[in-house]
Amino acid sequence: MFLPGGVLTLLVIVVPLAVALYISLLDLDQYSIREWVGADFIAFDNYVEAVRDSHLVHAIGISLGYSALVSLACVPVGLAAAVATQDRFRGRGLVRSILLVPYVLPAFVVGSTWRIIFQPDGIANRVLGTDGLWLNGPRSFWALVLVQLWAGWPLVYLLAAAGLQSLDATVHEAAALDGAGWWAKLRYVVLPQLRGPVSLALVISFLHNVNSFTLPFVLFGVPSPVDVEVLPVLTYVESFQNFEFGLSVAMAVVSLVLVAIPMAVYLRAVRLDTGRERGSR
Amino acid sequence: MHRRTFAALVSALLLGSALTACGSDDDGGATGDNTGVTLTMLMGVNNIYPEQQRQWFTEISGKFQQETGATVRFETFASANDELTKIQTSVVAGQGPDVYALGTTFTPTAYATGAFVELQKDDWDKVGGRDRFLPATLGISGPDEQHEVGIPFASRPFVMAYNKDLLTAAGIDKPADSWDGLRDQAKQLTKDSTYGLAIGYADGFDPWKFIWAMTTQAGTPVVKDGKAALDGPNTKLAYQSYLGWLATDKVVDPAAVGWKNAQAIAAFGEGKAAFLPMVSASSKVTLDKSAVAGKYAYAVMPTIPPGATALPAGGVAATSILSGDNVVVAKYSKHKDLSLALVKLLTSEESQTSYYKTFGELPTNQAAAKALGGDPALAAIVDSAGKSVNTPFTGAWGQVQLALTNVVVQSIPDLSAGKVDDGKLTGLLGQAQSTAQGALDKAK
Repeated sequence: MFLPGGVLTLLVIVVPLAVALYISLLDLDQYSIREWVGADFIAFDNYVEAVRDSHLVHAIGISLGYSALVSLACVPVGLAAAVATQDRFRGRGLVRSILLVPYVLPAFVVGSTWRIIFQPDGIANRVLGTDGLWLNGPRSFWALVLVQLWAGWPLVYLLAAAGLQSLDATVHEAAALDGAGWWAKLRYVVLPQLRGPVSLALVISFLHNVNSFTLPFVLFGVPSPVDVEVLPVLTYVESFQNFEFGLSVAMAVVSLVLVAIPMAVYLRAVRLDTGRERGSR
Repeated sequence: MHRRTFAALVSALLLGSALTACGSDDDGGATGDNTGVTLTMLMGVNNIYPEQQRQWFTEISGKFQQETGATVRFETFASANDELTKIQTSVVAGQGPDVYALGTTFTPTAYATGAFVELQKDDWDKVGGRDRFLPATLGISGPDEQHEVGIPFASRPFVMAYNKDLLTAAGIDKPADSWDGLRDQAKQLTKDSTYGLAIGYADGFDPWKFIWAMTTQAGTPVVKDGKAALDGPNTKLAYQSYLGWLATDKVVDPAAVGWKNAQAIAAFGEGKAAFLPMVSASSKVTLDKSAVAGKYAYAVMPTIPPGATALPAGGVAATSILSGDNVVVAKYSKHKDLSLALVKLLTSEESQTSYYKTFGELPTNQAAAKALGGDPALAAIVDSAGKSVNTPFTGAWGQVQLALTNVVVQSIPDLSAGKVDDGKLTGLLGQAQSTAQGALDKAK
């Protein structure tokens, strides 16, 4: 009964993970990749180097910081859009499709387009009346947040819209009968029901942003400016440009552990892992 | 009935894939019967001439089939990063293309993997002899003559394009041969909305070549005998000159902090810049279609380092890095002799001349190169090819190159504010030095 799914999980997740953990204990670089199984075993030296000598800590800080910012900022925008398109009106289908466009565009298309917008003599500076760099320097962090927010909010919108569909119409009627205005209705009736979908959207959005490689890579290139040195790009540079495979896998494992812990805590708190409602047995 | 047909289909599929996996282990050698053998060659996609490249693939396969009976299947990679990834995966898997066309700067990294055939005397004979190649192009085939893996295939030296009209209008007859002289000429040429120099500061590949050239010319190359010299005074001066063109000398368009190489070429093509350094002959196609067609010419880049008026003692007058493509044969290939025969075909005088005529890349075959020497439009490029100097042959070069580029990337915010912060530059160079030296120490 478990067999097809279990075999697939084994092949696609467990085996590569085990190999990765093994590689992180090896001194694997361009000189030893050919006979990689025979590379020198250096135990935890890679981890020490990753934490102490490389930019890993800095990259983790940037990745977690910007992901949290983007995920939190996506929520009000997504919710507003979901609530606004909740009621039927003429052209709602078209509006809903247009709202999804940023999300379905491939990341490299988004990155390339915004790269042009953010050029020193590009549209962004002309519209805002500013000058200076968006793609390097301190503003680059905000450029990344802005673009990721632009591309990511439809996810919250999708999940919130789906959650709204499942709301019982009688609850709305009861609230109206009690004389609740639209704000009170929103705050006390609609939003509490959306806690589940929104939490899920937050989790997915956060994980997606932490792991997002294509967008920062296309927007800023390598080597990345120090303000937007995110974890996936750092790992990519270490393995595919510096050929330091052992080191980059150690970095990846460290980041996996760091992200897994709060995720596990969070999932437990919202009972998403057991599927049972809070307060029930 | 359904289950039986399904089982039959699955077993047929498995059998089929098993059969294709068992390739034939031997071929007839370069002269024997090779019908049915297909060699695979990996090379970079040519974005300027994609149609012609596809046609060239068919021609080569046809010619090779006539000579040996085997055909050639070409695979392409889109960028240097793809090339590296393909090499890594093939090296680990022990299977993949038989022949690779590599950029010269990546030959040391490929050599470091130990996965490519080191050419002995009879291997060189099988590709037509080592002396059929221009001596300068052999500079990055291997760490020394006994351990060469790369066979030179195409030459793409770097030169500088200059706007003849702008120079004549300012009374300058030709570009200076020193970097300081070039800067002074650029200052003369910067007026109204035109600038002296077009530089792509945000390009991922250009910046380090300037630093490499200036330090090599000064006699203190960034890497020598396994030691990195990124924190030396000449390296710092090189960065100050390069960054200073925009920050302090103001001879570059301020928007250039966001330009890649293609944007710098575009600016020159619009007539907005007088000099366009660090381009290869592939820019000819773009510039001949631009507003400066017929008004520009190529010259070699300055060979006298910043801060000097003549080449210092120990300095090397390098006009360009040794740039182009080398061809390497994989050790895991089951058709080594055939692969060498293919390389012989690709580097023959006839093939090299026709490759030049189609794609504009200079030949590495001596006879073909000599025949081209007469073309005046190419004079500077052929000259630069002869005076190119190879980048250090070490497996750590990729990291050194990245460290050099990183200093420029992290200096760009200050650059656009109009300054080159001395303290910050020193700090960045110190970090780059320790990264580069660390990589060199690990080199085996």
